[in-house]
Amino acid sequence: MTRRRVALAAAAFGLCLLVPAFVQQDYQLNVLFRVFLFAALGLAWNLVGGYAGQLSLGHAAYFGIGAYGLVLFHDRLAAPLPVAMALGIIVAVAAAFVIGRVAFRLRGPYFALATIAFAELVRLSAKNVHSLTNGDVGLQAPELFVEDRSRWFYWSAVALTALAFTVTALIARSRFGYQLQAIREDEDTAIACGIDPARTKLLALLISAALTAAGGALNASLFYYVVPDPILGIDVSNKIAIVAMLGGAGTLTGPIVGAVLLEISGEVFKNVFHEAHRLIYGGLIVVIVLFLPEGIVGAVAGWWRRRRS
Amino acid sequence: MEAKLWSALQAVLNGVLTGSLYALIGMGMALIFGVMRIVNFAHGAFLMVGMYATYVLFDRYHVTPYLGFVVAAGLLFVIGVGFYRGLLRRVDERSHFMQILLTLGVALILTDGAQLVFGADYHKANIPLLDDHLRIGAITLNAPWVLSFGITVVLATGMFLLVMKTRFGRALRAIAQNRYAASLMGIDVLRTQALAFGLGLAAVGFAGGLLLPVFYLYPDVGEAYTGKAFVMVVLGGMGSIEGAAIAGVVLGIVESLTSLYWGNEWALAVDFALFLLVLSLRPSGLFGSQRV
Repeated sequence: MTRRRVALAAAAFGLCLLVPAFVQQDYQLNVLFRVFLFAALGLAWNLVGGYAGQLSLGHAAYFGIGAYGLVLFHDRLAAPLPVAMALGIIVAVAAAFVIGRVAFRLRGPYFALATIAFAELVRLSAKNVHSLTNGDVGLQAPELFVEDRSRWFYWSAVALTALAFTVTALIARSRFGYQLQAIREDEDTAIACGIDPARTKLLALLISAALTAAGGALNASLFYYVVPDPILGIDVSNKIAIVAMLGGAGTLTGPIVGAVLLEISGEVFKNVFHEAHRLIYGGLIVVIVLFLPEGIVGAVAGWWRRRRS
Repeated sequence: MEAKLWSALQAVLNGVLTGSLYALIGMGMALIFGVMRIVNFAHGAFLMVGMYATYVLFDRYHVTPYLGFVVAAGLLFVIGVGFYRGLLRRVDERSHFMQILLTLGVALILTDGAQLVFGADYHKANIPLLDDHLRIGAITLNAPWVLSFGITVVLATGMFLLVMKTRFGRALRAIAQNRYAASLMGIDVLRTQALAFGLGLAAVGFAGGLLLPVFYLYPDVGEAYTGKAFVMVVLGGMGSIEGAAIAGVVLGIVESLTSLYWGNEWALAVDFALFLLVLSLRPSGLFGSQRV
């Protein structure tokens, strides 16, 4: 990244922090919170799904573990909130380690299927181990911010996005980032070049899981409750992947573009169609696959390159 | 002691009956994913379409599900051929990534489409047969399940013979081995693939129609079956039609026993645990080796 781009990105995030000066309604701030939350989740997913090219459809597991971790460590072990959140993130990273060790030995569709199977196991455990999670009734989440909460949650989502963005930007131009992309392009050639795909992919997944779990904790605290299906369901995993791919998998700004588009349109369609808003996701995915296989940012970048050449 | 044994036997038999319908769903997926290598995340959603088709015939036109399931299969065959020719073909040779996304998108559209058209309410086809039971000693079997088991055995045998013994089946397996070489041998690749996809969905249509009398119907009903279908294909060994069928019955028995001893809510979890175990320990499947 050139110095100019760094300044531009910093200025953009700075402006985002100023938004609550103009937008004061809780509802609107909460919508914006979700935009940035999913931008951060999309960026986190992008490390594995975009740069390393490993289609994870089980990121709900880390999201949910982050949420349950915050609640359980706070309730059961009386850990202070930041500590509880950090412990939840550590558990999610540990889960990612186990999942990665098994799933990264598999390629192509088997990897995607294995990630789904793991996430479903976590969801079903959360539903069925009543003594710990209270099953489908769920648990009340502690409040990370009490006063002026809509603003503070919004700010923390922006901060998480900025963090995920910075991490991605640093990785993309590092040796590690190039190794990930080499694995995506051709795993066998990458091995021949001396790259250890299992270790490289695993490291990307651990970073991705940590960011995702932080998002899960924020989300749970804002909406007061953790319930298995809405936070550990396959819909969450799909949405995270779709955000990144709609914007452009393997691009730095793609997941942010995707989150803005999907969340805002989702909010509009929810008010128009009520229950059937997944129809929109479905339609969007089909359109991406058929017409924009590289996502919006990818398509624009391609168009720009062709125009300049 | 004896009562325990009887209840275990009852659970196993129930599992076999459920498993026979799983087998049909699994065989459809074995064709689509195992042989054609298309990752079909809309499998369960198509099952749901088959159930609603049978339900509409039953509810509006009073056609019994045991006739309606044939219509549902026909409908899904046509949908399958159309879907392959219209959409899937375009991503068939691109990455699995794109197939997964496309079928996932279609699954969401179908599920929420059904919700828009039929609402989120639960439906059930109440047929007189539901009250009939077969009693053998201490074992009780529900008549619709026994009937669907009989039908499934015939259908599964037919499908196996179609893929293993006919010219169409040979062409399909040839494409799976080497698409390019197959086309050089005079096989119409596009036509054969489209027919095979249609056939895979027809199996799901049959299963959907047969499930209707014994299950509740709602837009999300298919969701769990997509996962189960993948589990069966991996368990049975990629590309093995009969392996998927056996895996279906095994899955039925395992779920039934899990429900009996641990509770119904763990049945799906056991499916996925089994799936991960097989994937990591024996990727070629439990039954037979990997082949096309």
